[in-house]
Amino acid sequence: MNGARSKAVVLWTVVAVNLILLAAPTLIILGASVTTGNIITFPPDGFSLKWYGKVFGSAVLRDAFVRSLWVSLVCTVIAVPAGTLAALALARSRIRFAKLLQLYLLLPFTVPLIGAGMGMLMLFGELGILGELWAVGLACCVINLPFMIWAVLASANALDADLENAAANCGAAPLHAFCTVTLPAVAPGIITGALLMFVLAFNEFLVSLLLTDANTVTLPVSIYNSIRNVITPDLAAVSVVYILVATAAIALLDRWVGLEIFLKSK
Amino acid sequence: MLLDTLEAVRALLWPRTMRRYSSAVLLLPAIALVLVLVAGLAWMGEASLHLLDTETFDTGEDYTAANYREIGAQSTYWIVLGRSVLGAAIVTLVTLILAFPYAYVMVRTASAWTRKVLLVSLFLPFFIGQVVRAYGWLIILGREGLLNTVFGAVGLGPYKMIYNYPSVLFGLVQYLLPFAVLLIAPAVTAIDEEIELASESLGAHWLRTFRHVTLPMARPGLVAAALVVFTLALTDYAMPVILGGGTNDFIANAVYDAFFRISDSGLGSAVAIVLVLIATALAAVILTVLGAGTLGFSDERR
Amino acid sequence: MKRNTIDRRTFLQGAGAFAATLPFGRFALAAEPAKPKELIVRVWGGEWKDAIDAGVSQSFAKATGIAIKYDETEDNELQPKLWAAVKQKRRPPVAVNWDTTTNATKSALKKMGEDLSDLPNLKGLLSVAQPLGFEGYPLVNVYSYVYVLAYRTDAFPQGAPKSWKVMLDPKFKGRIALYNDGIGFHPAAQVAGGGKVEDIPKNMKAAWDFIGKLKAQKPLLGEDPDFTNWFQKGEIDLACTIVTNARGAKKNGVKVAWTIPEEGAKVDTDALWIPKGLPANELYWAKQYVNHALSTEAQQGWCDGLGLPGVNPNIKPPADMVGDPAYPTKPEDFKKLLRVPNKIQVENEKEWFGKFKAIMQG
Repeated sequence: MNGARSKAVVLWTVVAVNLILLAAPTLIILGASVTTGNIITFPPDGFSLKWYGKVFGSAVLRDAFVRSLWVSLVCTVIAVPAGTLAALALARSRIRFAKLLQLYLLLPFTVPLIGAGMGMLMLFGELGILGELWAVGLACCVINLPFMIWAVLASANALDADLENAAANCGAAPLHAFCTVTLPAVAPGIITGALLMFVLAFNEFLVSLLLTDANTVTLPVSIYNSIRNVITPDLAAVSVVYILVATAAIALLDRWVGLEIFLKSK
Repeated sequence: MLLDTLEAVRALLWPRTMRRYSSAVLLLPAIALVLVLVAGLAWMGEASLHLLDTETFDTGEDYTAANYREIGAQSTYWIVLGRSVLGAAIVTLVTLILAFPYAYVMVRTASAWTRKVLLVSLFLPFFIGQVVRAYGWLIILGREGLLNTVFGAVGLGPYKMIYNYPSVLFGLVQYLLPFAVLLIAPAVTAIDEEIELASESLGAHWLRTFRHVTLPMARPGLVAAALVVFTLALTDYAMPVILGGGTNDFIANAVYDAFFRISDSGLGSAVAIVLVLIATALAAVILTVLGAGTLGFSDERR
Repeated sequence: MKRNTIDRRTFLQGAGAFAATLPFGRFALAAEPAKPKELIVRVWGGEWKDAIDAGVSQSFAKATGIAIKYDETEDNELQPKLWAAVKQKRRPPVAVNWDTTTNATKSALKKMGEDLSDLPNLKGLLSVAQPLGFEGYPLVNVYSYVYVLAYRTDAFPQGAPKSWKVMLDPKFKGRIALYNDGIGFHPAAQVAGGGKVEDIPKNMKAAWDFIGKLKAQKPLLGEDPDFTNWFQKGEIDLACTIVTNARGAKKNGVKVAWTIPEEGAKVDTDALWIPKGLPANELYWAKQYVNHALSTEAQQGWCDGLGLPGVNPNIKPPADMVGDPAYPTKPEDFKKLLRVPNKIQVENEKEWFGKFKAIMQG
């Protein structure tokens, strides 16, 4: 049919544009990471793995990497329960001042990151928790929290309120109903949200910059700070290592729970 | 059984009669987390009411609205603000137009393999980070970049494609695209495909079906994506720096400048607070005009 | 070693150590306080870090056994962290801050820095080492640098441009670069626009007119890494930048050279200072680090890496900078250097920044 074909053509054209936007810089960085020269460039000058050697040989980067993992973990561990519960509350019931509450919960996106960072610098300094790595994780959680809430809300949309009520009417205790009905229904949202929170914390540099010092510097801050004189190819190499780790993680996730869970329809 | 024990604990701590407060309790952790930002805003609010003395580099004791008056009086702030709001609006529109078909194809495709490729392509950019990604674009779009090399081979160009306003917007679109798709996709998942098929079997052109069936039903996802993309674009700092060539600042750059370049935390706080107010007001407009989206659709539920 | 069994010998050792440290608080010159494991020094990354590491830190670590750790946070971005720490009476994030003299002056005005007047190596330094307008040394200047006119050699086959006015040539529209806060350019613009450098800050019409004309040339505004990147990628032909960056780009194979035009070029300094709030022993060793950085040996190594004239009169220019006017040695070199006192820069920074932004963002 003509209609179906034009639909496919239009949709896939847009998808192709998207894929180029998403993939092009990644490929460039991949290529640039094997240059022999001292400046990021594409096509690369020759082929060498020396920048990877530099990355793996750098104790500073290694320590920063481990710290970033910890920060991301703290961020995710706080965000998952807080964001999930908030999303369920928002989805489930009529809430007074709903719109005000929405705007309040949107503050992490409406406050510019520099402002958020300066505010937390003063607050954490006053509380005596500045320099603690978990505080950086907390900060990353706060500034990205709306992502967690929305990811869960998006799947809670598909959640049938009647199902929970039915479970309750059948005598299921609230916690039972929550664990056996509600949680599985929003699991795709929780996983998407958790992944986003983890990755975004792993890449956060503007707020973390203000909350870390030489002994607690995280990987993205370290990278941001080293872009000073020339953009050296070790930064590209770091990114490629990121991508490899990410690809492995995604492959494992697919193996264990199946990627389909992200888009599971009810 | 473990659940029964937990249930008993819950019943003790939170009897059924308290149930009507339960959504407030569920919201408490999130509200507390955002309170961290509010505390920062309170500090900035106080700081914004003091004027910097450039002879001692201390802020004065007296309370004054001078910083806010300065923002109002300097045309630079108005220009930068207008540029940010217009830019965020354009970026939101373009991002949604690009993101919706992607989300739609990703959800609807019959091939599990295609779905996986589309999903993974979405996540990988997050891992490179905004800054390094933008440098990738510099290599592609620069004056002696890949694209201009291709143009040169066929006798065109070179064209100046970066370090201007459009390139900042372009950078924001490619940065925010994955977020938009991830927020729209669940909404598309929730649409029953049967309804679309029914519409098309009744002879409606697919574009009509899209406009009158699919898009309205995906509205919650679209609104959520619009809110996220708009606010993040409006308050972005990095893209104007990297792709703007220094003459296409957004308002967050003015916040940075005041805090870090001229060491005036009072003025920086004032600019930040003005930005928060404007962004919140515009978000409220989006919420009111388009509805609540996925963020609380309480009106349609019991 | 296990702590819970105190035998007689370890007790005596401990008591001895205690007795030994006690008097030296009063006789600081006679003995050294306990060494910290490491000192954190704020630096700029890339060539800058390599230079201070090779010239100052390595020899310091070797002599004292104290490791030097670097904080590469940009000076502007570290400043609010430092100020917050001193204000909240926390231990500052760095022990030694390598800073622009302008930023260091702001901190000194806020009385954030320890006085360095008692450092032995201050004797015999060039007068430029001493900050003006303060009693003592809340900071010490460590070298001078010139904001040169850097150019892509391919764009100037005839040789170096003679005047800053070359930036107004329509040929270079969209192909010139300045620092994004306008820093380093005001005095050159003032002279190029027909004014006098002595009129800064009272009458800067000439400078603002010149910068206004430059805006029509659609300049790129950035920072050190951008200039190197832009030269390398063929985006620009001309930039006003610190000579160290141009030299770094050249060393990395970028076809770039630099000149000091007939109008002259701005000269400024960078400084070292020590924030208040360090533990006493760390303060002592931080001072030793700064003192060491001013020695002939350390200055020579550090400034060789930077290609800049240090404040120690005994050091010699690196081979590639001999005869270069950006490493001034002759009277005619010094005549072309335009200097604006740091106090004036600090007091007018906000206003100048606002005017520059108004022109460039418009």
